[in-house]
Amino acid sequence: MTRRLLLLGVVLLFAASIPWYREPEAPVAIWLGLPDWVTVALGCYGAAAVLNALAWLATEVRDPDPPGEPGAARRSGDEGPS
Amino acid sequence: MSFGPLGVLALCVYVVAMVLVAFRARRARRDRTPADHFLAGRGLGVFVLFLTLYATAYSGNSLLGYPGEAYRRGFSWVMSTGFMMSIVVVFHLLAPKLRPIAIQHAFLTPGDWLRHRFGRERHGRGVLVACAALMTWALANFLLAQLTAMGHVTHAVTGGIAPFWAGVIGLAGLILFYETLGGMRAVAWTDAAQGLMMLVGLAALLVWLLAEAGGLEATSRAVASLRPEAVSVPDFREKANWLSTIALLGLASVVYPQAIQRIYAARSGRDLARAFAAMSFMPLATTTVVFLIGIAAIPRLVGLGGVEADTVMPRILAHWAAEGPGSSALAILVFLGALAAIMSTADSVLLSLSSIVAVDLLDRPRERPETTRLGKRLAVGVMLGAVVLALAPRLTLWRLIELKMELLIQCVPAFLIAIHWSRLRAGPTLLGIGLGTLLAGGAALAGMDRIEGVHVGVIGLALNTLVAVGGSWGAAPPAGQGPSGEGSRRSP
Repeated sequence: MTRRLLLLGVVLLFAASIPWYREPEAPVAIWLGLPDWVTVALGCYGAAAVLNALAWLATEVRDPDPPGEPGAARRSGDEGPS
Repeated sequence: MSFGPLGVLALCVYVVAMVLVAFRARRARRDRTPADHFLAGRGLGVFVLFLTLYATAYSGNSLLGYPGEAYRRGFSWVMSTGFMMSIVVVFHLLAPKLRPIAIQHAFLTPGDWLRHRFGRERHGRGVLVACAALMTWALANFLLAQLTAMGHVTHAVTGGIAPFWAGVIGLAGLILFYETLGGMRAVAWTDAAQGLMMLVGLAALLVWLLAEAGGLEATSRAVASLRPEAVSVPDFREKANWLSTIALLGLASVVYPQAIQRIYAARSGRDLARAFAAMSFMPLATTTVVFLIGIAAIPRLVGLGGVEADTVMPRILAHWAAEGPGSSALAILVFLGALAAIMSTADSVLLSLSSIVAVDLLDRPRERPETTRLGKRLAVGVMLGAVVLALAPRLTLWRLIELKMELLIQCVPAFLIAIHWSRLRAGPTLLGIGLGTLLAGGAALAGMDRIEGVHVGVIGLALNTLVAVGGSWGAAPPAGQGPSGEGSRRSP
């Protein structure tokens, strides 16, 4: 559930990164050294990166037994020999 | 103007280092099976996995094509950070479900999933061949873009001592050498070293560029006075193109064969998830930096257009080198980082390509050493063909990327929908791939790359999905299939 909420947040941030809210002829101010709509886009991508990383850390990727090696299934985190 | 002999010397040191890594990787080989050659014995840990994913995803296109595109289009190219990040997001839909099936059934190529999922259906082989053919096209195209980039970098930074053709042919030979010697292990290890060099070099270049220009704000104002349209808010068509590019790159990149094979090659599921978590930040650390380099080049290099804009990065590096010995040494580091990024992508692409042709298209047995040898011979043949084409570049690097993505994205239903929806059938999926490919390929051949800013490949995918899902709707899943489509299909 947490993972899905995080991913929903990522999708919303992606949608907000595109300047739908601005008209093409609108005057552009400089924020933090960049055109304002570019700063907003980068802010959205920065937040999306954090949420996406948290979503991956909350993701369980199972490791079942490979063929011909019966036994208890390995779960993610139970690392085998390298 | 250029590094000249110093650049040639650095190039020689780099080549020797890659050769040594190749010999070390060969000594680490466990056996001669295709699994060891193409997947490094499925033993990549989180650190090497992260760096190989990074170095593979950020390529010559990222380092040469993206600054060129930022130079041509202006600030709207900030979309590149978004679409590179969307790749790591869309992998949520594939990796957690594909990885356990792949380990359980010892997958080697992306086609193994299709064999597993559709193998018992009448049109199952057709879906496999169609996707393998599209992937082969995309990979060959991608390889071509890398070789072109290698030629540009070599020519520019050696000031013509090593001409374009020598860069293409010489470095293609080096890739073939270390790949045939060490397989995925050599590719992953060289990728790790190359990824680190790329990160350090890019950061140094951006700091110099911004310091030279008097900071980020001064750069933005200079661009605004020279080319006001590069700073203004994009119009509706450009905004639609922004969204379409995020969809195109995000969806198509998850069916990149070399990325799928890294899902198989990870040592554990936890390592894979951690590597992807770290990858989430790389668009900010790499694509944004490269985008800003392209923007900073606008007031510095006036009047470049078309294919010529792809040389923005080498030209900037040459300017930097002229500043003095210190900046020359740092510029060489960037040069090697750029070259490393290009070569790390090219080697991964070549390895995937040879495995797909040998195993999926030619249907050779996956456990036999002869298949490994065939894969190596195919790699040589493909590389020779790509070198010939790369010696006469006619398209911009960005257009080469788009062309491959528009066809590769047609494989998405066979992977993303098939892994989540058990009712998807092979027949409608094959028909959808065919129609989507015809639409996207036909429009591209007719010179139409976008409709109202939306890529023809994305429109083709919409038609493709409609046909695949509509045709499968109401059909019962084939006997023995589990709810997620991963039941008792024929294992490869």
